[in-house]
Formats: sequence, C-alpha cells, structure tokens
Amino acid sequence: MTKILMIEDEDSIRRVLKTHLEPHGFTLFEALTAAAGLKLMTDVRPQLVILDLGLPDRPGAEVLREIRTWSKVPVIVLTATDEEAMKVSLLEAGADDYIAKPFGPLELIARINVALRHHRSDQPDEPIFTSGELTVDLAGKTVTRSGKQIKLTVTEFALLSSLAKRPGQIVSQEELLREIWGQVGAENPHYLRIYIGQLRKKIEVDTSLPRHILTEPGVGYRLV
Amino acid sequence: MNDDLRPNPDEILKRVSAQEAKRLKGRLRIFLGMSAGVGKTFAMLKAAHARKATGARVLVGLVETHGRQETEAVLSGLEVLPRKKLDYKGVEIEEFDIDEVLKRRPDLVLVDELAHTNAPGSRHPKRYQDVLELLSAGLDVYTTMNVQHLESRKDLVEKITGVPIRETVPDPIFELADQIEVIDIAPNDLLVRLKEGKVYLGDRAARAAQNFFKVESLTALREMALRFTAEKVDQELQSFHEMKGHAKPWQSSERLMVAVSHSPFSETLIRAARRLAYNLEAPWVAVHVDTGTTLTPEDQVQLNRNIALARELNAEIVSTSDRDVASALKRVARQKNTTQLLVGRPTKRWIRDLFEGGTLLDRLVRDSWDVDVHVLRQNELSTYTEGFHIPKLNFSTGFIPYWNTLWALVGISFLSALIEKWIGYQAVGFLFLLGVLVIGRLGSLGPTIFAAALSAFSWNFFFIPPRMTFAISEPEDAILLAAFFIVAAITGTLTSRLREHEILLRDREERANVLYEILKEISSSATKDEFLARVSSRIGHVLSGHCSVLLKSRDAGLTNEARHLYSKELSEKEFAVARWTFEHRQPAGWSTDTLASADSLYVPLTGNDEIFGVLVFTPAAKKPLSAEQSNLLQSVCRQLGLSLERHFVQKRVAEAEKLRESEHLHQTLLNSISHEMRTPLTAILGSAAALADPTISSSALSRETLTGEILSAGDRLNRVIENLLDMSRLSSGALALNKEWHDLHDLIGVTVSRLSRSLKDHQVKVISGDDLPLVNIDYRLMEHALSNLIQNASLYSSKESEIQLETRRAGDFVELVISDRGVGVPEESLERIFEKFYRAPNAPTGGTGLGLSIVRSIIELHGGSIHANLRPGGGLEFTIRLPSKNAPGLPFVTSEPS
Repeated sequence: MTKILMIEDEDSIRRVLKTHLEPHGFTLFEALTAAAGLKLMTDVRPQLVILDLGLPDRPGAEVLREIRTWSKVPVIVLTATDEEAMKVSLLEAGADDYIAKPFGPLELIARINVALRHHRSDQPDEPIFTSGELTVDLAGKTVTRSGKQIKLTVTEFALLSSLAKRPGQIVSQEELLREIWGQVGAENPHYLRIYIGQLRKKIEVDTSLPRHILTEPGVGYRLV
Repeated sequence: MNDDLRPNPDEILKRVSAQEAKRLKGRLRIFLGMSAGVGKTFAMLKAAHARKATGARVLVGLVETHGRQETEAVLSGLEVLPRKKLDYKGVEIEEFDIDEVLKRRPDLVLVDELAHTNAPGSRHPKRYQDVLELLSAGLDVYTTMNVQHLESRKDLVEKITGVPIRETVPDPIFELADQIEVIDIAPNDLLVRLKEGKVYLGDRAARAAQNFFKVESLTALREMALRFTAEKVDQELQSFHEMKGHAKPWQSSERLMVAVSHSPFSETLIRAARRLAYNLEAPWVAVHVDTGTTLTPEDQVQLNRNIALARELNAEIVSTSDRDVASALKRVARQKNTTQLLVGRPTKRWIRDLFEGGTLLDRLVRDSWDVDVHVLRQNELSTYTEGFHIPKLNFSTGFIPYWNTLWALVGISFLSALIEKWIGYQAVGFLFLLGVLVIGRLGSLGPTIFAAALSAFSWNFFFIPPRMTFAISEPEDAILLAAFFIVAAITGTLTSRLREHEILLRDREERANVLYEILKEISSSATKDEFLARVSSRIGHVLSGHCSVLLKSRDAGLTNEARHLYSKELSEKEFAVARWTFEHRQPAGWSTDTLASADSLYVPLTGNDEIFGVLVFTPAAKKPLSAEQSNLLQSVCRQLGLSLERHFVQKRVAEAEKLRESEHLHQTLLNSISHEMRTPLTAILGSAAALADPTISSSALSRETLTGEILSAGDRLNRVIENLLDMSRLSSGALALNKEWHDLHDLIGVTVSRLSRSLKDHQVKVISGDDLPLVNIDYRLMEHALSNLIQNASLYSSKESEIQLETRRAGDFVELVISDRGVGVPEESLERIFEKFYRAPNAPTGGTGLGLSIVRSIIELHGGSIHANLRPGGGLEFTIRLPSKNAPGLPFVTSEPS
C-alpha cells in the first residue's frame, strides 16, 4: 500500500483524485491547509505528496521548501498557471514534478508512478534504460532501436545518457546545457535545441511526433 | 472705420465673463480715513460685531489697538488670532499669520492697516497682498487704511503735510473693494481727541501733531478721502453699466488711444482714458513706445505696472519700438483707426526738441489732422523727468567707451602734431571731425558728445595759435572752432542715432522672429513634450536664463511628480511658488509682487478656461525684464497655454473614443463568452445527470457516449479560457515576449501531442523541410497560435480527413503551412477571418471569433505574417512566415562517431 498525502483545499479535486487513485492501490490522506498537511507529513510519513499551490493559509511554494528541509519524499505540484518561470522555480525548489490544471487523472497517475519508481531506485544509475523499441546501455555506451544499433556522436550520447539517468523525470534545460557544454552551454541554449532535433531524427520512429524525448515547454526534456 | 478691428459682441461677452471670473471670491470692505485717530479700527470692529450677530464666524486676524481703551473694549467678544513670531536678524517680529487664517477658514477676517509692510521672510512683501490672497481663497476681509497711503495721492499728501510717506497701497485694490466706508470726523474734533491723548501715546503725539495734525492739512486730507470715495462710486456705476450693456456693440465710431510710458503719471492717464472710453462707448488701445533708452530697474517696474493696469482695465495693449515717439504714436494711431489720442503733458526738452522739430505735442498735433489730441492736466508737479536723455557716466559698465574715446583722441592729436607742418593747423580740425564721426558710428550718444567736446578743446589747446592756451588770437579761428563743435556734435549725434536706430530695428526684427519661430516650433512638433522642450530652450536662450515647464498631472493639480520633469529639480520652497501660481493663475516669484524672493519667475499657462501648467523662468542675472521681453514672455505663455489646451482636448477626445471602443468590445466579448461557456457547461451537466440515472448508465454504450461528451465539452471550455487569457494579455500590452531560438519541429510535436484527444479522429501528416533553421519565438505563445490553427482545422473538417503540417525554408524566413480538407470559407471572407469577433457565414455554431485574431496578433508580434488561402480541391490553408535571419547554428559540425 502506497501512502499519498494530498494537500489541496478544493473538495471537487480531492474527490476526483481519490476516486481515480484508490483503485490503483494508493491510500490517500487529505489535508485542506498547509498547516494540516505539514502535520500529517510527520504523522503518516507518506511515500508521495501531491501539493496544490493555491492553499488558503500559505503559498504552496513555501510549504514545498519547508518539506524539503527535512524530507526527500517525492512531491508533485498542482498549479493553475501555465507560466514557465513558475515551473522552473518549482523544480528548483525541490518539486519532483508538476502538473498544470486542468489535467487528466491518467496523466497524474503516470507521473506518480514515475516519481515513486525514481525515488525507490535512488541507488546509483540503472545501467540500462529500456522503453518500447529503444534501449540505452549507459555502461556499454550503446543505443539500439528495435535491436539495431544506432550510431550517435559523443555529444548526442552524452545528452541521451543525461536524460536516461533520470528516466521519466524532467531534466531542466539549464542542467543539460551545463552538464554537456559547461559555461558555453549556458550562453548558447540553442545548442540543446539542435542536438535534441538530431537525436530525435536518430532514435524516434516519427520525428515530428516524438514518443521518447518529450519537450516540457520552457522547462526541459524528459525521456520516456 | 475699419469694422474688422472692432471687437464683436461675443468677444466683449467673453471679456466680461473673464473679468467676472477674475473677481475675487471673498468680499472686501475698506474703512478709509483721512488720518490716524479717526476711529477706523473702532468702526471696523463694530461692523464685525454686527456681522457676527448674523451668525458668521469672525476672526480678528490682526488689529492694532495702539493701547486705546475704547478700541480694546470693542475687541472683546471677538476671537483674536495669535500673531506669528518671525526672527529677523535676532529681533523677534510679530506678524499677521496668513497660513493659520487660511487653515481656519473663517467667514470674515479682520486685518488692520492695509498699507503695512511685512517683515522680510513673509510670504508677501506687503500686507495688501496677504489680503488679496485671503480674498481669492474666498474669505471676506475687513481692513482699514488712511488716504495718505494711496499710491496716487502720496505725492500730493507729502506736499500738503511735508511728511514723507513710505508705505503705499496701489489704487487698483480699491477696484476690488465691494464697499468703501469713509470714517469721517471734523478736523477740530480730531485735534481735540489728539490733545486728550486718544490718538497716539506719549511724546509721539506732540511730534506728530506738529507735522501732520494741522487744521489745514487735515481739511485737505479729508477732502481727498471724500473725493476719492466719490470717484470710486462713480467708477462702480460705470462698471455696472458696462456689465449691463455688455451685449450691445460699440455705439460710437470713436476709437481711443493712450500713450503709456514708465512715468507714474501714466496710471492717472490710463484711468482717465478708461473713463473717457466708457463715456464715448469706444474701444481703447494703450500704446507703449520703446525708444531704446535703457530704463533703470525702478522705471522698468513702473512701466510693467502701467501696462498691467491698462490690460486689467481691458485696454488693448500695443508695444512698439521706435526712436521717435511722435511718429510711432501716429503710426499706431493710423493702424488702429484711432479717433482720439490721450497724452500726458510732456516735459520740455530743449535740445532734443530742436533736433526733432518741435515738442512731442507740437509734432503730434501738427500732422494728425483726423485725430483729436487730448492733453491731460497734471495735478501735481511730478518729480519725474524724462528730459533729454543724458547718458549717465555709469562707472560700473559704461565707463569703458569714454576711456576708449579719450585714447582715440589722444592718438589723433599725436598724428595731427606729426603731420601738421604739411597740412596746416586748420585742416587738423577735419581729422578730429573724422574721429568724432567714427566714434559716433561705433559708440553711443554719450561718448560721441564727449568726443566732440574733447576734440574741440584739444584742437584749440594744441593747434590753434596761440598754442598751449585756450585763447584764440584770430577771430576766424574762433568762428571755425565754434562751427567745428556744432558740426561735430550734430553729425556725431546723427551717426550715433543712426546706429542706435539700426540696433533697435534689428532687435525688433529679432523679437518678431523669436515669436514666429516659437509658433512654428509649436505647430511643427509632433508631441507636446517635444514642443515644450524646444520652446522652453528657446525662451531660455532669448531671455538669457533657464526656462522649463511644469505640467499638471491628469486630474490633480501641480503634483510633486511634475517637479521631476524639471531638469534641475525645484526645491520645496520654489515649488511652493509654482503651486501658488498654479492655484491663483497669476505670475509669481522673481520680479513680481508675490513671493518675490524666489529664484525664478513662474507664469501660468492657461488656455481659454483651464490652467495646464506653469512656466518656470530662472534668470541668469537678476536684471528685470524689459517691457518687450515681458510682452514676449506673455505672448509665448499664452500660445503655450492654447497649444496645451488643444493637445489636452485632443487627448481627451481620443481617450473617450478608446473607452467607447473598449466598452463595445467588452460587451461583444461578454455576449460571446457567455454563449461559449454555457454551451459546453450544459453538455457537461446534462451528461453527468444522465450518468447519475441508473437506467441510462447501465448501458455501456450510452455511458461511453456520455463520458465522451463530458470530456470534449471540458476541452472546449479550457480552450475558451486560454483564448480569453491570451486576448487580455495581448490587448493590455502586458505581454512581454520571451523569445528564444527554437526548433519548429519540436513545437509541432508538442502541440500535436497536446491536442491528441481532439485530433484522434483525424490523420495528422507532418512534412518536414530539410535543414530548417531555428526560429526566434516565444514558445508558449507560438504553441497557442499553432494549437488554435490545428484545432480550427479539426473542428471545420470532417472526421478521418487529413490535416497537413508542412515546414519549409523560404529565404530568410521559415514557412509553416497548415492545411485541411474542411468546409473552407467563402472567398470574400478570406481577408476578414482574422478580425476580432468575425465569424465566417458558414462557420458552425460555437466559437468566439477570437481565435484567429489572437493567432495573427501573436505572429505579428514575432515579426511574421499569416495568410489564408483556399485550397484547390477544397479546404483552407494557412501559411505562417516567421523570420529566421541570423539563426544561430553549432560552432562546428560534429560528425565524430560514438
């Protein structure tokens, strides 16, 4: 049984989420305010937190920072705004993922599973990433699509492995740029755009409708 | 008569109402006496009690009881304002506290001794100015005054009594009085009171009595007070008739003109002219002729005051420059079709009159056949003399020309001594004459006369035998010398005159140019800030100082923000002067009567009936402005005021227009939105209710249909909200583009996957052009634009039809073509589908008509363009062009294998 704490003041959303999540084997604890939520955090020790940003008593971002001072529990933030800057700042504040309203419950469930999996496998990198026809062997430095090896340049592979190390998770643009190009990257964000395009041409079946490397507009990319 | 020049009735009406508006809001009552001790203060306090009895709030601003017991008795029962204590050079002075009065705002204020001079550091130098401010603030004022303090009677009183009078009140303040009450007492009774010690205390009484309090003097003063009051009553009657008859045109064909100079006597002249004009029912003109003589600062002030008085009494002011007063007057008289000319009695100026062919009066009368010339009697012998303008040896600035003249003559003398043996001593005179002419050409009148005299002496002393004496042996030499002096003086003077005349002409032309240039600048400037900046810099230049403009803020008056528009920020004190000017619509500060200690001159900028700001002029040197200069400043301020008014009116009209438009927009939006939101909501509610019904929800098929309905209605609602948000952000201009270089394919991928649910019944085909450069876009906005287009394509085309997205490079642009096989639009609607709220006639129901207008706004914000075309074979295609010039690439081509 996975315990999920939901800090959300809107009744309707809580009801909908409860209806969808409980059949998937999650136990839900509900808090209507930030104060109640923080108290439940210590009482029930949930494996995951769903946090709404617009709480009546305190801003959600503040609650998130407080949780992060003592817990590594995965937090998924619900936001009503669509602003990129907000999303980036949430990730920096320690959110594992975010999801903008309105959202489909199925998408939320998928995100919950990714976050939980990543949290559980918080050990050194899984050496092999597999998704559908795509396999990335981080240790062997090989990439295959439907069993056929794909030739990547050094930079392309570095980019792909950065994403593969955190499967399903958003990796921010800044992080990718810094990891691969260092200071030069920070000043030339377009490098990343060009390389992502190149990578997609090699590993995606349909380049125009990518299924593995997904863009989170304004925030970063994730490999699924 | 030239009828065009006559003011029309409307204009008069306007003038009268302007005068009405200028009338102070409070009412002024003056208790006038022939001398101290007649009981003015007593009478004033009595009147105050009577007023108080009617329920008015009465405040004694300041009353001098001089220790008189009966006065003190009558003071009791009235509220007395504590005096303000001022520290002046270590001495504590008590003064009338005007700020406190304005704060308390009583109905009636009592202020004794109207002629009093305030201590340095007060708001106004004179108490009567305090009173004026109280009146314009809407407070009623009672005040007292002796007739000897009247400015126009001062000289006469001094002559009668032999006592110098230092404090005066300008006559016009009496024009403002609603009531003048003469406190009359027989001179003998007053003398008795004086003896009883009821007037002054101690030995001052005796000393005063010797000079002032004699029966003869008192009788004369008494007559003066009574006569003055009678005149005032007469004037009031005139004003009343003028007001009454304001709508009727000028009855007579007479036009009156009065010549105004810097003489204090001009005031009497102006008043007389006004009386005459009233009696003749004629319009009148006040003319000032600038003869180019430099006026002393006092004269300048007097001149400005005279002109201001004439303007106040509704004269048309004409200012002209001419060396010759008579010809100037005649010229203006002709221009203005004058029939009657009023002048003062000019003083006799022997030499000048000789030059000019008669006195001013002679020449005026001689050539003016069609004009009646009135010469006004001059009651008192004026100390003022215009006379032959002998240039004073002004050592501070004017000494240099004399010094130069001296050296020039010494040089000529030496030269003459050298060549005398060849040309003879008589010819030497011509050398001197030449020198005088040159000096006359270069210098002013003074040095020229000086040169003529000095060269005569020098010639006589050094050259005419016997030498080294002033004696002359030959009679013909004596005649020669006399002739030399006269010729030198006259020709030198004429040359110098000629030059001055040229300078005068040049100045006049320059001033006319300045005004013309300023008008041109106002009309040619695109924005008000531009013309304000240009005009103020020009004014600053012309009047040698710094000039700027404070504008009022939108609703409030002159706020602190306006202060920062000034290039060098105004101090709190200076700004207070500006605010005073703004509130009272009168000039203040330097060179005016109000707050004269300020560093700058503040002139209000008024349009026809509204004030828009204040012009600030900071002189480089504190030299009073000449009449021409203040006229120029006044005309410019008037022009600026009118231009500002025009500007503000235009702006207001535009704002009102905009408001109307946006109101219309909001209304349309509201109608459209309520429809757009209610439709999907109805679908959701209906479907949910159906699901709740067990008989319906038991069938799997209907369950599926109903949930599908709810999902698509939810999507539709979400779309409406997003469009609304975008719309408001786009139209409020709050949208800052967050542009970065992006891959267009990435954008397409993200957008299509987001829309996967609405696109599930369509085939989406993406055709990617090779080697597409990055485009500089705001990703999120462009995603909205694209998603709007794709959604449109799916909404307006049948299921299973194909939606095609094609990218290609086109020179410095990247093109994205979205095409469908839908219903399309009628050809004539193609151009209009991007308009707000436009919906093609064949469009299915639903939709706000906002989508495409948002799309176009977004794309145009990126410097791109969008076009719609009908596809051959049916359907619509949108072509988006986005600039991709200077798209960045990679530093080098990486082809290394992994």
